[in-house]
Amino acid sequence: MRTIIDDNTTDMAMEETLISPRFYTTNYKELDKVDVSSIRHEWDPLIKEMRSDPNKKHFQKTSEWDDFDFEDLEPGLRKEFIDFLVSSLTSEFSGCVLYKEMKRQGSNADICELFAMMARDEARHAGFINDALREANIAVNLGFLTRKKKYTYFAPKFIYYATYLSEKIGYARYITIYRHLEKNPSSRFHPIFKWFEKWCNDEFRHGEAFALLMRSDPKLTSGLNVYWIKFFLVAVYATMYVRDHARPEFHKALGVDIDWYDDQVLRMTTEISRQVFPIEIDHDNPKWMIGLKRVKKAMLAYGRAKQSKGVTGLIKRPLAALNLGIAFARLYAIPAKRNAVPETSRLQPSY
Amino acid sequence: MSFFRKRRDNAPCTIEVSNTFESLHAHVRFNNGAIVNPGDEVIVHGDPVKAPYGEVITEDREATILRATPLERLWTRVFGKLEFMEICEFSFSEEVSL
Repeated sequence: MRTIIDDNTTDMAMEETLISPRFYTTNYKELDKVDVSSIRHEWDPLIKEMRSDPNKKHFQKTSEWDDFDFEDLEPGLRKEFIDFLVSSLTSEFSGCVLYKEMKRQGSNADICELFAMMARDEARHAGFINDALREANIAVNLGFLTRKKKYTYFAPKFIYYATYLSEKIGYARYITIYRHLEKNPSSRFHPIFKWFEKWCNDEFRHGEAFALLMRSDPKLTSGLNVYWIKFFLVAVYATMYVRDHARPEFHKALGVDIDWYDDQVLRMTTEISRQVFPIEIDHDNPKWMIGLKRVKKAMLAYGRAKQSKGVTGLIKRPLAALNLGIAFARLYAIPAKRNAVPETSRLQPSY
Repeated sequence: MSFFRKRRDNAPCTIEVSNTFESLHAHVRFNNGAIVNPGDEVIVHGDPVKAPYGEVITEDREATILRATPLERLWTRVFGKLEFMEICEFSFSEEVSL
């Protein structure tokens, strides 16, 4: 994230933040071959629900949006809260670009309709966050289009594993904060949290769609792919744990203990993911928490090593990367629990 | 195709940038059906697109696709998945401290 001051756009000085979304390409031919006929009885109701666009009217600023002044926030909290808004906006934005591309390049009617609706939701979320940023006098600069962008590659199954987890974790994170603030309204330091309850139902539905896509082809959740599923589970869970712990002011202001919060969110995600994954993380194994803490320590050391310059940096960086790799491998090595996937997968957001 | 030299393809494209309350998005569509492959780089020519708040800008532009070499393509296919964290929603950036 780069910040520049631009005071030509409006009469008030606006800080500009340049967002750098990622660009992806995938195997579009493979996507065209997706056949949802074996799960059609679950697919159609979900698509019908998404078509009805339940959150169409949700993302509007009503009288519920209290007056709020960013200058009232402590500088540390302000920084972390803006990081929260900008990062959330960037991932909604990247999701939108990816989904739109999948819709545009494909010719499979089921897939195209699904991805068009998901792109719609993500762009709407990004617009809503953007508006909250504008209140902080931060304008998003979309000038990245005219800079060189590299397209990275993601096979469809990896998109399913990663975005499924991301959407379900997004749901679990938002609903946990929302429920916590229902009980502790005095900690709600910004009105945006009031929108989380219905907002996260979009994430939940997107996750449902990816669950069905994975169930449409049993090969995606069996054989060697189980090792990939475990890889994504461990990597996504560990990343969330590390990133949350690096933002103490945000969680302190919400009155949330980060260890408690992450445990709730990850257990909830694991419970939901039983709808499709044949394995699950064993949260009760004491080695899991020890391993997470080890990865956190290694990740922080790696972050510091990346910042050190000169010869010290040259020596430190590969060592820190190796250490992080070992910490991750040890976390991966903790045995997962088996899970018998149910006959049908559809769930309703009920947390 | 040379094994080491990158090929440049020019393609007409339409860009759409929306900076409105309802939708914040930016898309590029190649009008000649060009496909971007793993590891390729794309640059849209012209001035940076500045969509003021409340506006949707649609423009026809010229883009260059800098094709990846076979080795780069293979590299991206194999290791691209390690960049998957970027599409995941974690609420916070990867910076260890702000």
